[in-house]
Amino acid sequence: MSQSKRELRAERKAAREAKERVEALASARRRRFITLGGIAGVAAIILAVVIGVSASGGSPKPVKPGPAQALLAGIPESDGVLGNPKAKVTVTEYLDPQCPICAQASKDALPHLINTYVKPGKVKLKAATMSFLGPDSVKAAKFAAGAKAQGKQWAFLETFYASQGTENSGYVTDDFLNDIAKAAGVDADKAHEFAGTQAAQDELDTVDSDAQTLGVDSTPTFVLTSNGTSKVIAVGLDDLQAKLDKALS
Amino acid sequence: MITRVAAIVVAVIGLGIATYLTIVHYAGDAPVCAIAHGCATVQKSDYAKLAGVPVALLGMVGYLGILVSLAKDSESWRNATAFLSIVGLGFSGWLTYVEVVELNAICIWCVGSAICMTLLAGLSITRMLNSPLALAR
Repeated sequence: MSQSKRELRAERKAAREAKERVEALASARRRRFITLGGIAGVAAIILAVVIGVSASGGSPKPVKPGPAQALLAGIPESDGVLGNPKAKVTVTEYLDPQCPICAQASKDALPHLINTYVKPGKVKLKAATMSFLGPDSVKAAKFAAGAKAQGKQWAFLETFYASQGTENSGYVTDDFLNDIAKAAGVDADKAHEFAGTQAAQDELDTVDSDAQTLGVDSTPTFVLTSNGTSKVIAVGLDDLQAKLDKALS
Repeated sequence: MITRVAAIVVAVIGLGIATYLTIVHYAGDAPVCAIAHGCATVQKSDYAKLAGVPVALLGMVGYLGILVSLAKDSESWRNATAFLSIVGLGFSGWLTYVEVVELNAICIWCVGSAICMTLLAGLSITRMLNSPLALAR
């Protein structure tokens, strides 16, 4: 009898311990999920701050003259074409004013292209302003068409590049364009007036149509035209200067 | 054990990618971009730096931190791995969004790193939740 009581006590103890163990395991598991939730919460807060800082990396900078403006001084521009109108070779850059790589290309490759080929009259350089990146590009491209009508398209684009903001953040306002125009020597009122006309829209449509014909689907893309034949010679920044030199030399 | 080893392997691969991109950044070169062709675009963009620090360098530090946290197999170190991996995954997700939506350019190295971070987050959370429970006696 006493034996069986001892056994009973031992069984009860074992059962209690087993139950406590199960509860402790369940509690430990719960703690892990709570810890994971806490980790995810802290991570979310840190990420919100980090992404906020990252997103503001492209915020508008104060408008200032582009570094290439000095380079453009003294070079004639007519109908958006920079350089000697009699040059037999034309390089057309398909660009989008908002495209950061177009801005980088203007820093990296444009000075060499202009000094080596455009200034000596070997090549004329044409800007084909696309607007596929979004509403801010459309507004900027139409205004660029207005600057083109004044023979100041390249000066406008170079100044715009130096002040690019976050894509399609709505930073291309009338005031922003006025500031760019002032720094680039463009008559802002006339450019705004032209931007509102059908001619400006036609300009954009023509560039888009030409780009489609040539298979241009990203910017910057450089197209060489000679003896009535056009071909793409460089896309993007990779080896840009070498590709231009190879095509033009 | 197997998740820890797998996480170490993935973290080493990620560290290799981040180290390469950091070297390329400071050398001023464009990354070799054999499959997609947006590496230079991404590398030169405003988003390639966070408060003036190259994101490739941040990635390197992140992967190193994950590797250090994987060196020990205790609860707190497992939590640290999960935390670093979740932050890395979130930031990689943001950068992938920027590539596709803002820059319209894909950098294959960045995609590789994003895959590593995704795997690391999955492995570290699995390891954190499934490791043997130690009960106080």
